[in-house]
Amino acid sequence: MGFSADLFSTGTLSQLLVGLSRTTILFIVSSGMSLILGVLRIPNVAHGSLYMIGAFAAWTVIQFLGGGLFAFLAAMIVAPMIVAAVGFVLERGFFSYLYDREHLMLLLLTFAFMLILGDLVKIVWGPEYRSVTVPAFFQGSAEIFGLPLPWYNLFLLLVGPCIAVFLWLVINRTNVGKIARAAAVDGEMVGAVGINVGWVFAFTFVLGSFLAGLGGALIAPMVNISLGMDHSLIMETFLIVIIGGLGNMWGALLGSLIFGLTQSLGILVWPQFGIAFPYLAVVAVLVARPRGLLRSTW
Amino acid sequence: MRKAVSFLAVAVWTTCMVGSGVAGDTVKVGFVDTYTGPATTFTNDVLDGFKLAAEKINAKGGVLGRKIEYVTRDDKFKPDIGLTMAKELILKENVDILMGTINSATALAVSDLSRKEKIPFLVTFSKSDKITGSMGHRYVFSMNENTEMAGRATAKALSKKPFVKYWIAGDDYEYGHAIASGVFNHLKTLNPKVQLLGESWWKVGETDFTPYITRILSAKPDFVIVATGGAGMVNFQKAAQSTGFNRKVPFYQHTAIELSTLMPQGQNAPEGVYGTANYLFYYPDTKANKTFVDEFRKAYNRYPKSGALYGYMAARFIAESFEKAGKVDREKFIDAMEGMTLDSPVGKMEMRKCDHQVALPMFFGVTKKSPQYDFLIAGDVLSVPGKDYMPTCEETLKARAK
Repeated sequence: MGFSADLFSTGTLSQLLVGLSRTTILFIVSSGMSLILGVLRIPNVAHGSLYMIGAFAAWTVIQFLGGGLFAFLAAMIVAPMIVAAVGFVLERGFFSYLYDREHLMLLLLTFAFMLILGDLVKIVWGPEYRSVTVPAFFQGSAEIFGLPLPWYNLFLLLVGPCIAVFLWLVINRTNVGKIARAAAVDGEMVGAVGINVGWVFAFTFVLGSFLAGLGGALIAPMVNISLGMDHSLIMETFLIVIIGGLGNMWGALLGSLIFGLTQSLGILVWPQFGIAFPYLAVVAVLVARPRGLLRSTW
Repeated sequence: MRKAVSFLAVAVWTTCMVGSGVAGDTVKVGFVDTYTGPATTFTNDVLDGFKLAAEKINAKGGVLGRKIEYVTRDDKFKPDIGLTMAKELILKENVDILMGTINSATALAVSDLSRKEKIPFLVTFSKSDKITGSMGHRYVFSMNENTEMAGRATAKALSKKPFVKYWIAGDDYEYGHAIASGVFNHLKTLNPKVQLLGESWWKVGETDFTPYITRILSAKPDFVIVATGGAGMVNFQKAAQSTGFNRKVPFYQHTAIELSTLMPQGQNAPEGVYGTANYLFYYPDTKANKTFVDEFRKAYNRYPKSGALYGYMAARFIAESFEKAGKVDREKFIDAMEGMTLDSPVGKMEMRKCDHQVALPMFFGVTKKSPQYDFLIAGDVLSVPGKDYMPTCEETLKARAK
């Protein structure tokens, strides 16, 4: 099992593409977290729970509409909106009263919500495994140098850049995005010029929650939807946001790329210890640039 | 005031004593198992299977004229809670027998307690080979197969296949390594020609298997042994289906052919996956199995899974052992249970005397579509008899002596 022989084999390209499609989900979820962290300064531990709700909600929508491509596409829109609604309630009902408190207080509150939302999911959907089928349109796989790349992964490769462009437009080309960026730097000043900062914060939290829900809905056809799927993801998401630079959207993209690609290439060169590679990359980044790769808004 | 309190205390104490006196007229079984979270997919079947048998026995007059009664405690999949609950069952509920649990760490902790308290403990679902192997003792019994046995049974079935180049992969924890290495090491002794191309290990709870699958495919093995548990079973099969893995390279998963893995996926489960299971509701196609399935479906409106067989047979073994012992006595119960053979839905089941490990058939099959059901079932089923895949008594006793 020579290292170099494996790295330059035909398998490398397909491994890269698979890694990129994984990056898509990581980017969608971590960009939402980064947004909330950057503008609202909330280290939202419950972000993973929102992702889990997105997956369960997608299952419900697809069941309700009886499956098929239409039901799938509907679920990709409705499920994130349900999660966004949950986010709206959380922000207006709880977080909006606590912005002037310490980060530690906010962190504790989000931790409480992680536990509460986890139990709510159990009450609403029960403890059984749920499974969503990939719609017939995306079933099967393309051949790349004789190795399979599922159509659904290719679909994810298309979705990723779309979301990135959409976020760039919202943040750079809309008023609310510009205000949100300004509020991230100095919320008090933005308020002083007569802008209702509270609603900008609510918008940001809802957008972040929507992204978490979208990530959950997109991953639903690939996995067994189950309680606890939030835990493994929240770890990875935090690491991505930290190495990218707290609150920096493009940092989240860069972090996701590093995480997704080191993992898939790690599996290629050393399958026995593939899981270690992304974490080694995180350590390397933190040693070289302790404040993250890109400029942090903190 | 103080007098009133002590009077009350005495009153409560007396009532408790009377209460336990009443409990003495039954055979009381205490379950400590996981009744919340994902593991309930498996544990509810054990309890329902047990209830089904107990109700039948009670309807016929019970055991030695006593009714079988049971109480349950939730260990929440945590060994410390499980141990506390087991103590409570012994001290407060005065149970005659302990049963459970799906968590191996809990099972071993409760097993240790049962040895100290000298109370029989019938383990259901935990698959650690330590229970009746290196950490076995007089008071513990295993009602199902374990990782060691699954490894041997699968190796036996695979040794007859022409595959040479193997790859092993799985969840990076004890169960994963025990199954995958177990199968391969036994296979190597049965067929020295087989070779190991490589291994992949992923973290428990891994959701995206695609990068692992493409990596394995690029190595072009003849056969892949995959050791996943719990939610990972379905996750891996979904990735196999979407990458077409199962159509390129055949692979094996323990419990791949079980209902708990195949039913949630409906018609979209991958075909041609090799798997092993202790129980299939449609095989063997015997009167005994059909009667069991009909009774279970009538009572709970679903098909029985492996757990139902374990629970059902545990109740029958308990009843028959007490009948044979002639009185409700724990030591006599153990003596009676040792070496006992009963008819079960899958044929004869024997409680081996030397290590208290039940001997039951293992079914090896390949997933396929069926016109009869809206989910996949196992085809080409090969039944490996219990005695063919158990460690010998000498091997077990040697492991215990270490």
